[in-house]
Amino acid sequence: MSTSKAAGFDRRYIYILLFILVSIPLLYPLGLPIPISTHTEGVWDATTALPAGSIVVSSFDFGPSTIPENRPQAKAHLFLCRELGLKVIALAFWPGGGPIGDSVLSEVYGEGYQNEDFYGTELIYLGYVPGNEVGMQTFGDSPMDAKGTDHFGTSVGDLPLMQELEDASDLGLWAEWTSGTPGEQQVIQFVQGRHGGPSAVPLVVGSTAVSVPGMMPFYAAGQIVGILNGLAGAGEFEWLVNRDYPEYPQEQGPGLDAQSVAHVLIILFVVIGNVGWAVSKSRGGKSS
Amino acid sequence: MIPPNVGQLPPELDLFAAIFGVFVTVFIYSFLWKENPLSRAVEHLFVGLAAVFTLGFMYDAALSQAVWGTNRLAEGNFIWLIPILLSLMYFFFFTKKYFFLYRYPVSIVAGIMAGMMICGMIQSNFLAQIQSTVELPLVGNGVWEGWPMPGLDSIIIIIGIITALSFFFFTWEHKGALGVSTKIGRYFLMATFGAAYGGTVMARMSLFIGRLRFFFETSYEDWFWAWYLVPVAVIFVIIVALWERRAKG
Repeated sequence: MSTSKAAGFDRRYIYILLFILVSIPLLYPLGLPIPISTHTEGVWDATTALPAGSIVVSSFDFGPSTIPENRPQAKAHLFLCRELGLKVIALAFWPGGGPIGDSVLSEVYGEGYQNEDFYGTELIYLGYVPGNEVGMQTFGDSPMDAKGTDHFGTSVGDLPLMQELEDASDLGLWAEWTSGTPGEQQVIQFVQGRHGGPSAVPLVVGSTAVSVPGMMPFYAAGQIVGILNGLAGAGEFEWLVNRDYPEYPQEQGPGLDAQSVAHVLIILFVVIGNVGWAVSKSRGGKSS
Repeated sequence: MIPPNVGQLPPELDLFAAIFGVFVTVFIYSFLWKENPLSRAVEHLFVGLAAVFTLGFMYDAALSQAVWGTNRLAEGNFIWLIPILLSLMYFFFFTKKYFFLYRYPVSIVAGIMAGMMICGMIQSNFLAQIQSTVELPLVGNGVWEGWPMPGLDSIIIIIGIITALSFFFFTWEHKGALGVSTKIGRYFLMATFGAAYGGTVMARMSLFIGRLRFFFETSYEDWFWAWYLVPVAVIFVIIVALWERRAKG
């Protein structure tokens, strides 16, 4: 195939190829190994180092469009918090995160968790907290003032766990599940920065893969102590949770296989495209 | 108050949800083949639903602060009327005569955000980053041992920061030593953009895999699997695309 023909190759054939190749591992999992990255270990270490009874904020700051990446991260982390006996205050600074948080908590703590004895003392779900950055800062400064009621209409004054929290420096960990703004940078600016820095409010982040390169400077500076990087991060964390708690299912394995296959295909096409470009240029053709 | 289970379908509608999910997924991805009325319809549906959902939740959450739950207004705490009135002033956007009133809430929000951002960003995005760069290890025990060597990491980061910053230095022409520095800085920037592009690809693939898993893993009472309907949805797209082509002549 000449380079001009390669340049004119209909991209829709690539989509079909991608659809077929990604489908195969989902139907017949390959069982590829899952190496654990250091920033995933950071999330594990920061969570398991907490003494039982520490308060963890789990913030569902994503919408339905990034459920495949963010939801399994949050679910595995909440399961770990439950098993470690950590107290959880879950909330969402994104409107779309409100119902998602409720569904994840239902899976981890059981349907009707708001009617259980532990609700209010070991777990609270505030639901959507309005105000974006302002809401986040208000929650960090004075959690009782961030929202009048929890997700189910109970006044926050009637929830004992909220009384234990004077401000964000009383937290053991802030777990931020995010795909945009407000997200981890706003937690760093408006919560962590105002309440003693990373040592006082340790922050772990589960993010979409697209946002992770932008977070690495904050990770290197210690402002973020661990990152779950997209679907791969969710799969790695699931593996760690499953290692210590075998009853927790490893659901992302086939998805990671499919992602690996897709990446190989894309790398292959990037290489073919660049070789074609280089050959075309060497023959005196257009470089663009 | 919005019921807490809003956004979640009751179990008796699982079949309907699966059928609807298959059709809208195929319709939205049909855009990759060719834009067609079905892909546009689902796109508009998504935007409309997201807008209504967001508006409803924000309205409900804002009122829960002032009216129900806390009963702040009922208890005579009338200071909460101020943000309510300010937010209502946004609606003057739709009148020509009183449009100037719309500018008050906008200017207040912009001012508050500017004040908050300046304080927060200088500390978290500027000073903390400079501090962590200054503290990079170059000497000491174990800095030049093992692989990758922490000291080597530090040198690469320092070179990257200085050269990338020099790329945005426009006081002198990029020649000589500055030219070399900016060229190296450009490669560091390209590597950064490449990493961001890789992350974007990874994220998009995750979403695509999420939809495929929905096809292959969603079932209803063991007789219906979501992927059964994929060919039907594809045929719908083809019929509508052909109809549109014929209508356009």
